[in-house]
Order: sequence, then C-alpha cells, then structure tokens
Amino acid sequence: MDNNFLVIENISKSFGDNKVLENINLNISKSEFFGLLGSSGSGKTTLLRILGGFEKPDTGRVILDGTDITNLEPFDRPLNYMFQSYALFPHLNVFNNLAFGIKENFTKKEIEINVRDIAELLSIEHLLNRRIKQLSGGEQQRVALGRCLIKKPKLLLLDEPLAALDKKLRSKTQLELTTLQKKLKITFVFVTHDQEEAMSLSDRMAIMKNGLILECSSPEEIYENPKSLYTANFIGIANIIEIYKKDKFFYSDDLGINFKLNKELIDTKTNILLRPEKIKIQSINNLKTSSFNSFSGEILEKSYLGSFTRYEIKINNMIISVLDQNFNSNSNYNFPKGEKVICSWESESIKILED
Amino acid sequence: MKNKLFEKYFVFSPYFWLVLFFFIPLAIIFKISISVSEWGMPPYQDIFLFDNGFKINTTFENYIYIFSDYYYIGSFVNSLFLALISTFFCLLIGFPLAFYIATSNVRLRNILLVLVVIPFWSSFLLRVYAWKIILQNNGILNVILLNLGITSEPLQLLYNQYAVIMGIVYTYLPLMILPLYGYLNKFDLNLIEASKDLGLNRFKTFFKVILPLSVPGIVAGSLLVFIPVVGEFIIPEMLGGSDRLYYGKILWEEFFVNRNWPGASALAFSGIIILVLPIVIFQILYSRWSQKNEI
Repeated sequence: MDNNFLVIENISKSFGDNKVLENINLNISKSEFFGLLGSSGSGKTTLLRILGGFEKPDTGRVILDGTDITNLEPFDRPLNYMFQSYALFPHLNVFNNLAFGIKENFTKKEIEINVRDIAELLSIEHLLNRRIKQLSGGEQQRVALGRCLIKKPKLLLLDEPLAALDKKLRSKTQLELTTLQKKLKITFVFVTHDQEEAMSLSDRMAIMKNGLILECSSPEEIYENPKSLYTANFIGIANIIEIYKKDKFFYSDDLGINFKLNKELIDTKTNILLRPEKIKIQSINNLKTSSFNSFSGEILEKSYLGSFTRYEIKINNMIISVLDQNFNSNSNYNFPKGEKVICSWESESIKILED
Repeated sequence: MKNKLFEKYFVFSPYFWLVLFFFIPLAIIFKISISVSEWGMPPYQDIFLFDNGFKINTTFENYIYIFSDYYYIGSFVNSLFLALISTFFCLLIGFPLAFYIATSNVRLRNILLVLVVIPFWSSFLLRVYAWKIILQNNGILNVILLNLGITSEPLQLLYNQYAVIMGIVYTYLPLMILPLYGYLNKFDLNLIEASKDLGLNRFKTFFKVILPLSVPGIVAGSLLVFIPVVGEFIIPEMLGGSDRLYYGKILWEEFFVNRNWPGASALAFSGIIILVLPIVIFQILYSRWSQKNEI
C-alpha cells in the first residue's frame, strides 16, 4: 500500500514561548482511518488544524497526494474538516448546509441530486427542510459529516467526532463511521482524547504527548506491546511492576516474587506491564503449587462490570488489578472480598517497557 | 399578597416609564400643535374655553401650514437623507472595527473597548468644536495640505453638508460599534473556518456567513444612529452651512426665534409619526423574520 498519501514532515509549531509541536513526522496511507490520541495540551488538535490550513507550521511540510499543501489556504485544499462543535450554519436549513460547499460550481439540478444522495447515504433525507436548532446532537453530527463528504475530499479531518454525543449513541456512531469510511475509501484523520474511541475507529493510531509522537502503530500493537510507560498507562488498565535483575531471575520488591522473562534485559532495572485480563485467578484450595509467574494474594476490592468483574488484589506491598470474565451465569461465581486467591499468567503476557 | 402586588407593578414599570416620559410629553406636544397661536406667554390659546359656555378651541391650521410649505418638508427630507448617509458610513467604518475588537484577544479587546468609549468622557460640544478648529480655513488640516503642496490655497472644509456628515459619523460611531460588538462577540469563529474549509474565500465567506449572521447587530446599531441623527441639531448648527437646512434646526428656529409653538409642535409631532411608524412596522416585520430564521 502506498503509505505516502499524506506525508507530514518535520512539523513544528510554537505559540509564543509555548512549543506545541516538535518535529512531527507521520506517513498516512490512502484510505486509512488514522487516529491522533492524546490528552489535552498534547498538540493533537493543533496538528489537525495545520492539516486543515487554519494554522501555519513554523517549520516542515504537509504533502497530500504528491502536492505540497503547506502554504495553501483552507479554501484551496482538497480536504475537509469536521469541527468538534460541528460549526453548522444556523441561518441555513439542512439542505443549504449540505449544499454550502458545492453551490458555486454546480447547477441547481446537480446540487439537488448531490444533496439527496448524501442525505440518503447518511439517512437524513427527512431532515432536509429542518433548521439546525431543530436537530438532535446525532443528527447535527450527520449533517456536519455530510457537508464535508459532499465535496468528495481526498482527506477528511475530524476533530473529536463523537465527543458531543451521549454514550449509547457514540458506540452506534463509531460503527457507522468505520463502515462509511471503508465504503467511501476516503482517508480519515481524527483527533480524540478518548482511548476507547481511538482503538475502535483507527486502523493505525499515534499517541501524542507534549507535542511529540510517542508511538504510532495499530491499536492491537499499541495495547499489547506498548513501548513506553506513558502509553501503557494511557491505554487501558495497566499493572506496572518494577523489576531488577537478581542472579538468574528478575525480582520485584513490591510483589516479592521472581519473574521469568522471555527476553534478555539490557538494563538491570526496568518496568514491566501486565494487563489485568491476562491474569487468571483461582481459588487457593484447588491449586497445587505456586511457581514462577504466579502469586497468592487477597481480594481487597471487587467491582462487578457486567461482562467482567474487576478485582483489586493485594499481594505483598502491591495492589494488582485483575479483570476476570464472568464466564458462568451463576451469580455466586465471583470471589468474595477478603478471599485468598492464586493469580497466574503466561510468561508471554509480560511486556517489557522500554522507557 | 403584598409581594404579589409589588411584582405585578414591577413588571409594568417599563410601561410606567414609557407613559411618563414618552406618551405624556407626546400628548402635550400634540395638544399644543392643535392650539391656536397668539402673542403672549404661553404663545398659544387654551384648547378648552369656558368664557361663553364650553367651547373646544382647536385648529389644524398648523399642520396645513407645515405641509403646504416645502421649506419644512424639504428640511425633513434633508435630515432623513443625512441620517441615511451617516448611518451607512458609521456601518462601513464600525463593522470592521467591531469585528476586529470582537475577535481579538481579551487584553487587547478591553483596551480597544475603552478607546471606543473614551470620547464620551469629554464634552460632546467641545469635541464638535475641536473639529471646527481642525477644519477651518487656517486650521490644522489646511495648514498641512498647504505645506505639503497638495493645495495652493486653503480649502473650504467647514460649513457644508460634508462637514456635517463627517461630524455626525465621528460622534455617532461608538453607538454603532458597541451594539455590533455585543453581537459579534458571540459569533462562533468556527463558522468562518468552516466556510473557508468548504471552499469559500474571504470575500464570499463575509457575504454568505458573517453578514447574514450579523443582521441583528447591524439593525440595532443602525437604529441607534439613524433615529437621533434625524433630529440632530447641534452638529449641523456648528459645522453646517447655509447649503442645506435640517429638521432639528428648523424646529429650534420655529420654537425660539419665531415663537411659533403650535407650528413647531405640529412639525415635531409629524416628524415623530413619520419616523416612528415605519420603524415600528419594520420592527414587527423584522422580529417575525428573525423568528422564522432563528437568528
């Protein structure tokens, strides 16, 4: 696949003394659904605004489909931007909002056909005569999306596309958005602070922090094999354990147990990641022996989450989170608070964090 | 129970205000305008006479007099025209200023707003007089123009309708800027970016997005300038010449020079009706339109 469709090259940007972006480099392929994930102040929105043409970078270039668009005005760029607030025109109805970007170059009949088509695609045909204020949040989101897609952009930029929707609608819209993107094959780049949203939408995603890209990979790779401590903590629940080399093994002071690692360590001290769903818990009664990569502990807290139960298990001086799938339909299945249990895991589940 | 009574009256307080300071004076003016004029103090006869039984002593002579002489109608037309042109220039200058203030950062915005309001802190008369000094034949402007060699002899800048327009635009500009600013302040700047993103350049974005959404601010500012300018007396008196007569000045002369109170009242009353009726109709139509368009 051609991964030079959108090339972001050495982009830096400061507002006064405040460095917002430092030397950003990214290559995004055609038809890719790409996510920029970061907490507020990470520079993700500034990067998106630079792509949209609303901010000029201090250094670097943006190349879209072989053309340098760094110095083009927003109205000259073959891309569209969906605002977090949707920025729908309150003085126009839905039809005219959708037609806003094509009114100049199309005849009245062509506009009519195009608007009908896009409204059908987004199932908003019945709303065409409504005013913006008469629409629900979800409907507004569709109109904002339609207003961009009607221009058939090479690239669609989305700023927190689902942030303004309530939780139930959000998961439904997530699915629709991915289906739509795969159908239209338009390259989508979106910004979010919500890790779940980033994981479920993105083909690949970049984790941003303080104007830098920490990691860029597929959601699976970033969740399973994060390189940095920040990413490990930012995505999902993470048990971070500090270990150091002791004789042939790696020892954790907090847990008071030895670890067996698949990989040889360069440093004598490092952090390892153990995701909570990789840990298996069993009653202390029906387990034979404790060995490497297992420990006994006591359940401190438990919260029932429906499909999972989350336990906080104290072992030695450390509290470990464990997600246990509620496999049985028997409600007495869960371990009660204060119960002594044995936790174990595969040695492959232990991931070494580089920094 | 007492509280409820208070609330009831409190709700009506704007109407008390309106009755006390608008309708009652208006009624008095109307009463004088249909009185018969005479020499004396006050210079008109009572409308109710009781000497030989009850008799109503009114006349519409004053109105007939005003509307039959183009001197009066012409001055009113001049004033309307002046107000129209001045409002247009106030809008032309005020809109970009208000937009710039509304979109600048908070610190700069506060400084600019103070700068807009500062002229109100000095006397209005002094400020208009200052323009007289600037524009007169040996005034600053002419001296500069002469020294730069742009003109060989002093230009007649004062005592004509252009000086009046300039003076009015200068004086009334803050009244245009402030309501416009108040409205543009709430303007969602993302809408401008969205318009550009959808392919409209700055010029088209202005006419398709910024202007339509600013209509309420433009209407408020324009009315605030237009209405008082129609009756403006001091600026034409100080900066204007004999080339054009304005309504405010004619009114003043009728009252204080000719001592024709009934005639002047008829003029004032006609002016209010001619001015207020279209504005009321406009406001009704406009509020319907804006409700329909939800601006």
